[in-house]
Amino acid sequence: MRKNWFSALALAGAMAFANGASAQTIELAVDGSPAGLDPHIVTAFNSVQIVSGTIYESLTMIDKDLRTVPGLAESWQISPDNLTYTFRLRGGVTFHDGKPAEAADVVASLKRVMSSAIASPLASRLASVADATAPDARTVVVTLKEPTAPLLTALASIAVVPRGFEADKDGLQRAPMGTGPFKFKEWQPNGFIALEKNAGYWDKAKPRVDGVKFNIVPESATRQVGLTSGQYQILPNIDAATALQLRGRPNVRLVDTLELAYTLIGMNVSKPPFDNPKVREALNYALNRQEIVQAALFGAGVPGGSLSPALKDWAVDVASFPCFRHDPAKAQALLREAGITAPIAITLLVLPRQDIRDIAQVVQQQLNRAGFRVELRIPEIGQFVQDWRNSNFDAFASTNAGSTDPDDYYYRTFRTGGSTNVFKYSNPELDALLDSGRRETAMPARKAAYDRAQAILACEGPAATLTYGQLYTATRNNVQGFDIIANRSLMSLSNVVLGR
Amino acid sequence: MSRNFLVTRIVDLAIVLIGVSMLTFLMIRLVPGDAVAIMLGANAEVTVERMNELRARLGLDQPIPVQYAQWLGNALRGDFGNSLWTGKPVVQEIAVHLPPTLQLAGLSLLLGAGLAVPLGVAMARLRGGWRETALQIASVVGLTVPSFWLGIMMILALTSFAPELQLLGYVPFTEDPAGNVARLLLPAIALALPILANLARLVRSAMLDALAQDYVRTARAKGVSERSVLFKHALRNALIPFVTSVGIMTGYLLGGAIVVEQVFAIPGLGRLILGAISERNYPLLQTAILLVTSGFVLVNFAVDLLYAIIDPRVRLEADQ
Repeated sequence: MRKNWFSALALAGAMAFANGASAQTIELAVDGSPAGLDPHIVTAFNSVQIVSGTIYESLTMIDKDLRTVPGLAESWQISPDNLTYTFRLRGGVTFHDGKPAEAADVVASLKRVMSSAIASPLASRLASVADATAPDARTVVVTLKEPTAPLLTALASIAVVPRGFEADKDGLQRAPMGTGPFKFKEWQPNGFIALEKNAGYWDKAKPRVDGVKFNIVPESATRQVGLTSGQYQILPNIDAATALQLRGRPNVRLVDTLELAYTLIGMNVSKPPFDNPKVREALNYALNRQEIVQAALFGAGVPGGSLSPALKDWAVDVASFPCFRHDPAKAQALLREAGITAPIAITLLVLPRQDIRDIAQVVQQQLNRAGFRVELRIPEIGQFVQDWRNSNFDAFASTNAGSTDPDDYYYRTFRTGGSTNVFKYSNPELDALLDSGRRETAMPARKAAYDRAQAILACEGPAATLTYGQLYTATRNNVQGFDIIANRSLMSLSNVVLGR
Repeated sequence: MSRNFLVTRIVDLAIVLIGVSMLTFLMIRLVPGDAVAIMLGANAEVTVERMNELRARLGLDQPIPVQYAQWLGNALRGDFGNSLWTGKPVVQEIAVHLPPTLQLAGLSLLLGAGLAVPLGVAMARLRGGWRETALQIASVVGLTVPSFWLGIMMILALTSFAPELQLLGYVPFTEDPAGNVARLLLPAIALALPILANLARLVRSAMLDALAQDYVRTARAKGVSERSVLFKHALRNALIPFVTSVGIMTGYLLGGAIVVEQVFAIPGLGRLILGAISERNYPLLQTAILLVTSGFVLVNFAVDLLYAIIDPRVRLEADQ
C-alpha cells in the first residue's frame, strides 16, 4: 500500500517534469486579478496590462520611446483647420474570429466609448470628437468640435473591438476579442489568464511564441521564487524594493526605465498660507528631493518636475529651475518676505499607501526644518478621495499615473476650472499656453508652449512634483526581445522569443 | 439514535447560521472603507455623481437593516446575489473556487489526522529516553511553525534542488491528475503539519490516560495480547477527544487555507475571500463566509453524531 503511494508520487513528479519542457509559452506572474477584460470598461492597471497591445490594438499606438506611431491606421491626414482627421486603415487585418476589421468596426468602437449606455471611463478622452464616419471599408473620418492635438495620443488608448457590442457591457469582459497578436484562450479566476498565438495576425513576423500565460500570484515571495526557479519567465513592472532582492540572482536579468507616474505635494491656493506664491516657492526650497529618493525609493528614482524625464521630447531639465535646489535658509527668507511669522501650521492630507506615507514623513521633517509645522492626516482611501475632490486640504501628498501627452495631464489639472484642478489654481498666462498646446498640431509650437508652462509651474505652481521612480521588469536570461515601456504596456510580448 | 437528538441539533444549526449571517453582514459593513470608492479608485474620472449612481445601482444607499432583510429574503429563495465586481452570480464564483480548497483541506486532513494516530500511539509507547524527547521537540516545533513560512521554505528548498518541478498554481484533477496531486502535495503538507503535531500530542496523552485505567490492567491480567490492549481497549477510548479535535481542526484548515493558498498561488476559496475583503465585495464575502461557517458547523454536527457511535453512553444520555 505504502509502496503504491510512493510510486504515484514519483509518477506525479515525472509528469510535472515533462510539462516543464512543453511548447513555447511565456509565463508571467502578476499580483492581482483583473476585474474584467473589456478594454472600454475596465481601466484598472491589472486589466489593462493583460489586454492592451496583446489582445487589442488601436488606431495609433505608443512605442517604447513613448512616441505616438501608427497602429491599425497606417497613415492619417489632418485638415488645414485641424478639425478633420482622415485615417487610412491597414489592409488584411482580422479579428480573432476571422472576420475582417473594417472602418465600421473602428467607428463602432469610438461610438461605444462615447455612449452613455456603456459609461466608459475613457469617454473624456474623446470629449472633443463631434462625429466619426466610415466612407469606405478602409477609411475612418473623425471630426472634432475644436482643434485637439492630443487626439492621436488619446486614440492609442481606445481599443478597436468588433461592431455589435455597442449596447453590450458583459460580452467582452469574459471573452475579449480584438485584432492583436494574441487571442484569448482561458481564464481560471484567481489562477491564470492564458492567451494563444493569433496565427492570422497582420504582421506575419509576430508573435514569435505560441502563447502567453499571466499567472495570478498574490504573494510577492512566491513570485520571486517562481522567477528564480524558472517557473515564470517574466515579472513585469515591479518596484525597486522587489528588484533589489532579485538583483544578482543567477539567470535573472533586470531591465528598467523611469516611470511616468510621479509623487507630488499639492497645495490649496484658495486659502492661506498657500494662496501666497512666495509660500509655495518656499515649500519648494524646503524640500530635499534627493533625500526623498534615497529614503523612500531606495535610491531608485530621480527628482523631477511636472513632466516625467521619460518624456524625452517634452520634459525640461529641472536643474534649470532654481527652486529645485534644496535651500532651507532661502525658504525661511521667502517666508519672512511673505510677512508670515514662522512656524506656519499646515495639515498634510496623505494618500493611504505605504510609499506615500513614507514620503510624507520625510517631507514633514524637511518642511519642519524650514519654518513649517506639518501635521499628517492619513484617512482611509474613500475619505481621502472625497477630501481631495472637495479641495478639503491645506496640502496633500499623493501620486498619479502620468500621461504620454502633456495636454492630458496639464489641461485638466492646472487650467482654470479643470476637472482635477483641486488646487483651485488659476493663471491666465498658463491657461493661454495650455489652450495653444491643445490647438496647435505642429510639434515646435506645442513644445514652446509646454516649455514655458513647465517653467511657470516649477516654483510657484500649485503642485510641487517630488520624484519619478524607477520601474523594473525582471526576466529570465533566456527572454529575448522584451522592451520595458514607461506606461507599463506589455505590447512587446509579441516580439519576445525564449532562447535556450 | 433518537429523533430528539437530531431535531435539537438541527434547530441549533439553524440558529447558528442566522446568527452568523447577521454578524458577518454587520461586521463587513463596519470595516472602514467604502466599496464604491475602492471600486472606482482615486483616478481622475471619478465624480460624486458616478459614485452615487453606482451606490444606488448596488443597493448600498439603503440602511443596513433594509439591506439585510433584502439579502435574507433573496437568500432563503436561493438567490445569494451577484458579485459587485464581475456581476456574475456569487454562487457561480464560489463554485469555481471551492474544489481546490476542498481538495487541499481534505488532503491535509487525511495527512494530519491519518498520521496522528500511529504517531500518537508510538509516542505513548515510547516513555522515557531520547526518542521521547526528540518526538516531543518535533511536535512542539510542528505546532508552532506557521504554515505560510513553512510553505515558502519548502518552495525555496524544492526549487533549488528540483527546479524543473512545477509546484505553483493549480490544475484541475480532471485535466491532469498527476499535476494536480504534485501541485497540492506541498501546500497540503504545510497545512497538515500543525494539525499532525497537535493531534499526535492529543492521541499520546489520551492513550497514556487510557493505559493507566483499570480496564487496561484487567485486560492485561487476563492475558490479552499487547496489540489488542493498545488498539482495541485503549485506543477506542482515546479516540473521543481526538474526534472532537478533528472537528475543530476543520475550522482551522479553512482559515489556514487562506494563507497557504496565497503562498502557493492556488485559486481557492481562501483567495476568493481575501480578494472579496480587499474589494469590499459584500455579497460575495457574505456568502463565502456563510458557506465556510456552515461547513464548520456541519462537521461538528457530524462529530456529535460520531460520538454516539463511538461511545454508547452519549446515545443513552440523549435518550433519557
